Amino acid sequence: MGRILAIAAAVVSDAIRRRIVWVVVLFALILVAVIPMLPSYGQGVIEAVYREVALALVYVAAIVVALVLAANRIPSEVERRTVYTVLVRDVRRWEYTTGTWVGIALTLAAASLVFGVIVFATGWLVYGEPMWTLWQGVLAIWMEAAVVAAFCVAVSAVASPVIVGVSALAFLFLTHVRADLLGGPSNPLWSFYPSLDVFNIIAPVAHGTGVSLAYIATMAVTFAGWAGVLLVLAALGFARRDV
Amino acid sequence: MPRNAPRRCSVSRMGAHRETLAIEIDGAAKRYGGPGGFTAVDHVDLAVRSGRVHGLLGPNGAGKTTTLKMLLGLVRPTEGSFSILGEPAGPTVRARVGFLPEQPYFPPLLNAEEVLKLHGRLAGLDAAQIAARGSDLLARVGLEGRGTTRLSKYSRGMLQRVGIAQALIAEPEVVVLDEPASGLDPVGQRDVRNLMLELRESGTTVLLSSHQLSEVEAVCDEVTILNRGRVSARGAIDDLLNVAGRTSVRARGESAVLPADIQSVMEDVAVSGSVWVFSVPDTAVRAVVDILDDNGWTIESIVPKRQSLEEYFSHMLEVTENEVA
Repeated sequence: MGRILAIAAAVVSDAIRRRIVWVVVLFALILVAVIPMLPSYGQGVIEAVYREVALALVYVAAIVVALVLAANRIPSEVERRTVYTVLVRDVRRWEYTTGTWVGIALTLAAASLVFGVIVFATGWLVYGEPMWTLWQGVLAIWMEAAVVAAFCVAVSAVASPVIVGVSALAFLFLTHVRADLLGGPSNPLWSFYPSLDVFNIIAPVAHGTGVSLAYIATMAVTFAGWAGVLLVLAALGFARRDV
Repeated sequence: MPRNAPRRCSVSRMGAHRETLAIEIDGAAKRYGGPGGFTAVDHVDLAVRSGRVHGLLGPNGAGKTTTLKMLLGLVRPTEGSFSILGEPAGPTVRARVGFLPEQPYFPPLLNAEEVLKLHGRLAGLDAAQIAARGSDLLARVGLEGRGTTRLSKYSRGMLQRVGIAQALIAEPEVVVLDEPASGLDPVGQRDVRNLMLELRESGTTVLLSSHQLSEVEAVCDEVTILNRGRVSARGAIDDLLNVAGRTSVRARGESAVLPADIQSVMEDVAVSGSVWVFSVPDTAVRAVVDILDDNGWTIESIVPKRQSLEEYFSHMLEVTENEVA
């Protein structure tokens, strides 16, 4: 565990200094700040519109940050040979891929926290009410972004950044079209289709009262399952690779 | 002699086994591309004795780096066995090994202290040990006061120094250096040479892969020479370089020419001012000394004739080329 955390800490130190990450965060936050300038709706509706648009912006920004951090991390470390000095120590390949993902997930958590604070504070300041359920939405977005990062780590363990980027977009698309492809839960394949829809809670957060603790637990289990499977694939792919 | 067989072998593998081996490679092979593909390393054996500095020499593409990578688990061998400090060369024993890759590179947004912290933590050191060892090593490699500067601002030579520091952070028993003087200025190269000699004095085993023959000649006790993925020669430097049957004489005299009796037996003559250096057959040494003495010359040295590593290396490659042709 110590080695995984050491690698993760180095990834975080490197990632939080990447200007591109904070440019994306800043751009998203500027957009969040201008949401209240949208045309006025009836009372009660405008707050919901704010929450929906704000979470959509946070989602896009988080996914972009995940792709920026994860798609090229392992390929560039191999190409630049920075990985050599790490792997020749008492470090297993799976510890390297897992530590890399943990570092990216922690950086995404930091970015999500910044998103959450600004979105929450802006909502409170402009509309005069603390929108606590926004934090549920931010948590779900972080989980999905971290899963996307795990997918990128898994593919990048054996492929180039271009392939990683394209396949990550395909992954996002395919894991969000279950309802379009299968109709509904009555379809026998519904439960077996790999989907990230569980993390899409923008509607209940924006227009309802959020989700229950049981649902959050379901999200956590789904997150752990996705991350676990993808990290096993990353470890298997990287273990067989000459660097 | 079979083609590509080692030409001299004063340090036989049997002999090496009598002492503790820090590194042992048996039959290492790496082939790319399946049957008919490219063979980068072809059944290489290597034995490095504990506490020695062992040079791994060879031209570009000889298989040096691939051999080191297989030893250190970066490349999966097609065949062969690898052991370090008597154990199979897996992750566990690699905790006792330091490695400097050729032209090391580190995440540019980190600084040297963070790199040493990462490698110290990976080696199992605690924060206090990392801090103490880190500042000591940065001073030792000439980076005192530069530990918090981002590596993106470092020159290639400075990165090389960081690479050396990270290789030594855990006080390894075995150090593997791949072209350690690459990118360093002459002062830096001298520092690296001194460092290797210090490591040897402290009992650390060093496996040095280098193109710089003068560096190898200056610090290595033994060398293994690779060419086209195979071992071409191995042994003690002196045994490889001493020319059998000939002695080198260095003499000083006022005369413009050497006495006539010597001219018939001397070879490889070099003159600088009043100093002459030449070689003669071992059997003629006593007579040559007498002649020089009788003619008023001052004899400065008489040593076994030794060719430079450059000469040896060029000759060996020439022979190999001819064999291939």
